[in-house]
Amino acid sequence: MTKRISVVLSQGQSRNPEKRKLEEDLVAALIMESGVDVTVVPHLYDLTPDGTGMLALRNIGGDAVILSWLYPRAARWVLDRNNIRGQEGISLLKGLGEGDEDDEDLEDELEDEADDDKDRVADSRPNPPRKIYCLDLRAYDDANTYVEEIRRIVRENGTPLVQLTGWLGGKPKNGEAMQRFLEPTNDTHLGAARETGRRDAGGNGEPAPEAPPVVRIEENAGRRWYPVIDYSRCTNCMECIDFCLFGVYGVDNVETILVEQPDNCRKGCPACSRVCPENAIIFPQH
Amino acid sequence: MMGQYEARFPTDRRYAKKNHTWAQRSEGRGAWRFGFSAYAVRLLQDVYFLDWQVEEGVNVTEGQEIGFIESKKAESDLYAPMTGRLVRFNGELLDDPSTINVDNYGAGWLFEIEGDGQNLMTPEEYLAHLESVWEVTQRTIKGQMNE
Repeated sequence: MTKRISVVLSQGQSRNPEKRKLEEDLVAALIMESGVDVTVVPHLYDLTPDGTGMLALRNIGGDAVILSWLYPRAARWVLDRNNIRGQEGISLLKGLGEGDEDDEDLEDELEDEADDDKDRVADSRPNPPRKIYCLDLRAYDDANTYVEEIRRIVRENGTPLVQLTGWLGGKPKNGEAMQRFLEPTNDTHLGAARETGRRDAGGNGEPAPEAPPVVRIEENAGRRWYPVIDYSRCTNCMECIDFCLFGVYGVDNVETILVEQPDNCRKGCPACSRVCPENAIIFPQH
Repeated sequence: MMGQYEARFPTDRRYAKKNHTWAQRSEGRGAWRFGFSAYAVRLLQDVYFLDWQVEEGVNVTEGQEIGFIESKKAESDLYAPMTGRLVRFNGELLDDPSTINVDNYGAGWLFEIEGDGQNLMTPEEYLAHLESVWEVTQRTIKGQMNE
């Protein structure tokens, strides 16, 4: 039994040909994968809540992989604000900047903070069981790395659901598996197969006739700038709503903070993220 | 001349020293329109991405960070070339910044700022400034090539 998985490629804002090539290489490779549906949308952060891009993402019911030029944390909480929710899928890929000692210290600090007994908004807001994996396209230059990880994710979710929730209570057990993944011993075989597949798919971005179609969504809403709340850190303390002069923040019907009027936000102003005592406010473009 | 490349600087406008932009009074308005000089475009080469960190209508001071640019040769923050009210960005560049490479002195303009423009240089002053920094620039370019 194989479940289908949706892979969403969120395009970057840059016209850098190397970045565009990575995106197109990924699409060309992914349409050859079985069990994978591919959707291409513009930059996730710029999508408007009622636009066709978010609509398409909301229509994805099952497990999903989101490839974007954003930190996974930012991508996840942008989706959350648009009611696209699920369990956090744990990728074995290292994120951008991970592996530096300073960053590890920072991560440790943040984890320590999160370990205290404060109530976080996310604790009282259960997510649906489907999984959402967010991968950062800035972390690796080659499409192969992402395709391998997506294959692993497909395998992980195609196997019977016995212990898939085992990670919920703690960190992923990624030591040995990560090592094996990062230093594969057989990188020639699969890569060679994909080279052929890519040529078959055509170099002009057109899918091969027999391949499942790629859904490509165009949306030209322009650049946006607004805060994104990480509810796994937010304690609903209301510092941000008290601070912001532009009426960006509001509360929902159970008095939980939310970004109510994102487009009231002043471009280039990240000040609310600095007053947040939990570092829960993200400006992905900052 | 920049090495074997010729760089042209129209004399119908002024120039800002620090970030190599030209400035020209917009017709009928009290604002200066700014764009990259040939010198800046030559160093940047193909422009891939441009973004602004301030909104139209805000007051900026000379040297304030107002945006970001990504090109074939560089990723850099962009700074306000003069003090004043930033009244308009060239919105078309956000979708297609390559106009900067095609027509840097015309359709590839960047933004307009209302202000007195006192600190802007004449073309002659700008050229003299470029001559004086050319040695350093060449070292920078060669340094990049050797990386």
